[in-house]
Amino acid sequence: MATLHLLSHSPFSDGRFNSCLPLLGDTDALLLAGDATYALTAGTKPATELEQLPEQVALFALEEDVQARALGMLPTRVQLLDYAGFVELTCRYERINSWL
Amino acid sequence: MARSMLIISRQAPWAGPSAREALDIVLAGGAFELPLGLLFLDDGVFQLTKAQQAASLEQKDLTANLQALPLFGIDSLFVARSSLTERNLDESSLALPVEILDDAGLSTLINRYDHVITI
Amino acid sequence: MKFVIALFAPPHSPAARRALRFAEAVLAGGHEIVRLFFYQDGVHSASANVVAAQDELDVAAEWSRFVSANQLDGVVCIAAGLRRGVLDAGEAQRYQRPAANLAAGWELSGLGQLHEAAQQADRLVCFGGQ
Repeated sequence: MATLHLLSHSPFSDGRFNSCLPLLGDTDALLLAGDATYALTAGTKPATELEQLPEQVALFALEEDVQARALGMLPTRVQLLDYAGFVELTCRYERINSWL
Repeated sequence: MARSMLIISRQAPWAGPSAREALDIVLAGGAFELPLGLLFLDDGVFQLTKAQQAASLEQKDLTANLQALPLFGIDSLFVARSSLTERNLDESSLALPVEILDDAGLSTLINRYDHVITI
Repeated sequence: MKFVIALFAPPHSPAARRALRFAEAVLAGGHEIVRLFFYQDGVHSASANVVAAQDELDVAAEWSRFVSANQLDGVVCIAAGLRRGVLDAGEAQRYQRPAANLAAGWELSGLGQLHEAAQQADRLVCFGGQ
């Protein structure tokens, strides 16, 4: 059953983003926190790769990190979460794989 | 039924204590005879190459500990094929027997365990 | 739901604050925290010797208050702690070190405590990195 993957490193300086994406199964989800939210930067390769994930893969980001970084023009598929939403999400997926 | 755990080890053995501390989680769980898996991903596959010389860096030998895993009842050992290929490694380069999985296999593997820790 | 929350990052890492805010939200949501477990560089987040600047968030102190106020089971890995200089009074004495620095609310114990808690928990959520 489905896994929630949690990334917190920037896709521009770290390999975790590239390693994680191919492992996302159809019903899995990806949550971006910290510098991983830079992957949402419009017009970049990581943002394009996120747009191209299978439609069933849900994409989330921590709202505080997006706001802090003043990221605009977010991909339409991304859903922003506060901490209550983050907790609720971890209840909905059977396991959480944090890329430490 | 006991809950299972997959440990994903993705650091090279010489990058500080991460590789050993990932292994320590596995060994601690093995002592309780818990259902555990260990997956080597990314630079973690460098933990498996033969003839490494820990003494050269005044370190302890990790390979000996890895080779002893089956003695602790841990024989669910996996390696990411893509990580091997990227590093020009193959099965013959590895110091212990492991199951090599492609990306789809890894995705299925992760979804088989109750808990996952990726270090 | 029953949660185990594991922290692998030091207090100056954004992940230490993120884990704390997550843990607070877990309790606020009516869930249970079976155990907090600090491992690797996360042991520094249980140090009483961290001094934050006056106008900066003191994450290690907040963690200590959070664990005490909610009477949580807060475990710091003893092997990881020793390796990084996070000691309680007993370990400081055993290894003849000048001071203990484990913050209030925490106890040093082995990795078995992580597994034991994971056996009871519906979710294990790890925090680390940036």
